[in-house]
Amino acid sequence: MRRGKPLAVALVALAVAGFTIADDDEHRYKRPKRLAVPADAPQIWKDECASCHMLYSPGLLPAEAWRRQMDTLNDHYGSNASLEPEEEREIRAFLLRASARNHLPVEPAKTAGEPPRISQTRWFEHKHDEVSAAKFRRESVGGRANCVACHRDAERGDFDEDRVKIPR
Amino acid sequence: MKAYWVALACCLSLPAFAETEHPLLPGYAEQARQDNPAFTGFSAERGKALYFAEQKRDGKTMSCTTCHTADPRQIGKTPAYRKVEPLAPVANPKRFSNPKKVEKWFRRNCDDVFTRECSAQEKGDFITWINSLK
Ligand code: HEC
Ligand code: HEC
Ligand code: HEC
Repeated sequence: MRRGKPLAVALVALAVAGFTIADDDEHRYKRPKRLAVPADAPQIWKDECASCHMLYSPGLLPAEAWRRQMDTLNDHYGSNASLEPEEEREIRAFLLRASARNHLPVEPAKTAGEPPRISQTRWFEHKHDEVSAAKFRRESVGGRANCVACHRDAERGDFDEDRVKIPR
Repeated sequence: MKAYWVALACCLSLPAFAETEHPLLPGYAEQARQDNPAFTGFSAERGKALYFAEQKRDGKTMSCTTCHTADPRQIGKTPAYRKVEPLAPVANPKRFSNPKKVEKWFRRNCDDVFTRECSAQEKGDFITWINSLK
């Protein structure tokens, strides 16, 4: 019996470790499921959040990540994207509501001071592990964040792998 | 016959009408005079210089031309690969028609390029220049 205890502890520890690894894998491989842009998306969001880059579907990030973005629009990845208070409130409310089904953890951006990025999440890395850095750098692609270059209907939240096409 | 002459007179006077001052300028002039009592008017020359003025931002050279191209009558592109419709009213009549939109983008873009706001004088100079492009 005296030797049984450490074994039991070890077994429990192993089980816990196993579970943690499995859980970690889950997060790494899971991608957000609800990506379609809701039909009631406000026009102000479509206008304001698509003037400098493509429109990113709210389901791509968890609500907390959008909150951090909306808190820092004065310095938005090096750009000033500030809004009038009413505009800001309406867009924030929409993003938080429309991303409520995304339960993935918030992953900080690699560059200090930047709000979270879609293009730096683990699921993004995994889903694109066969796309080389050189392809993302192509002038016709325009970087990882320009989803719409390869996913034609990305602005509607459609990333179906059957329709992916990397431009030359 | 009378109506015909009225219609003709109206349309003949249109080109002259198009030459008048841009509707956003009086407001900026008033603000510029408040900022600086020595204000004497806007200059297209200075507006053009603002458009081409270069600044170093995080090691990269930035100017209005970065996104609006060296010819604001052309379609531009942001560093995040979004198409930008021409900025010059001659190529895009919707430009400089919505004061709120104009103010929003002066606020953002002057901050991006010069890390400061643009003054009323600079905005008026800029509109005077860009509105004069043919
Ligand atoms: C004034 C220009 C501008 C406006 C307006 C703007 N953005 Fe951005 N945004 C940028 C820039 C620049 C980047 C960085 C792009 C890059 O690194 O490729 C960016 C990046 C992003 C990213 C991260 C993309 C990635 O790498 O995963 C998200 C998400 C985003 N913006 C959301 C928004 C939302 C939401 C709004 C509306 C409230 C908005 N943006 C409005 C300029 C803008
Ligand atoms: C250089 C082209 C390219 C860019 C840019 C790109 N992707 Fe992809 N994406 C791909 C390829 C290739 C695949 C893999 C398709 C496959 O597995 O057959 C993929 C797969 C995906 C998948 C998985 C699809 C599925 O059905 O599981 C998602 C989700 C996705 N991308 C989202 C994005 C988002 C979001 C962005 C922008 C932040 C983006 N992609 C940018 C090329 C690209
Ligand atoms: C980083 C990219 C970028 C730079 C640099 C930039 N702009 Fe812009 N500018 C934009 C975008 C994007 C829009 C809005 C998109 C649209 O309406 O097509 C815009 C719109 C504007 C507008 C609004 C005009 C209207 O009535 O629609 C003005 C004014 C303007 N810019 C002036 C400037 C000036 C002056 C500079 C230089 C100090 C400058 N911009 C530099 C990206 C840029």
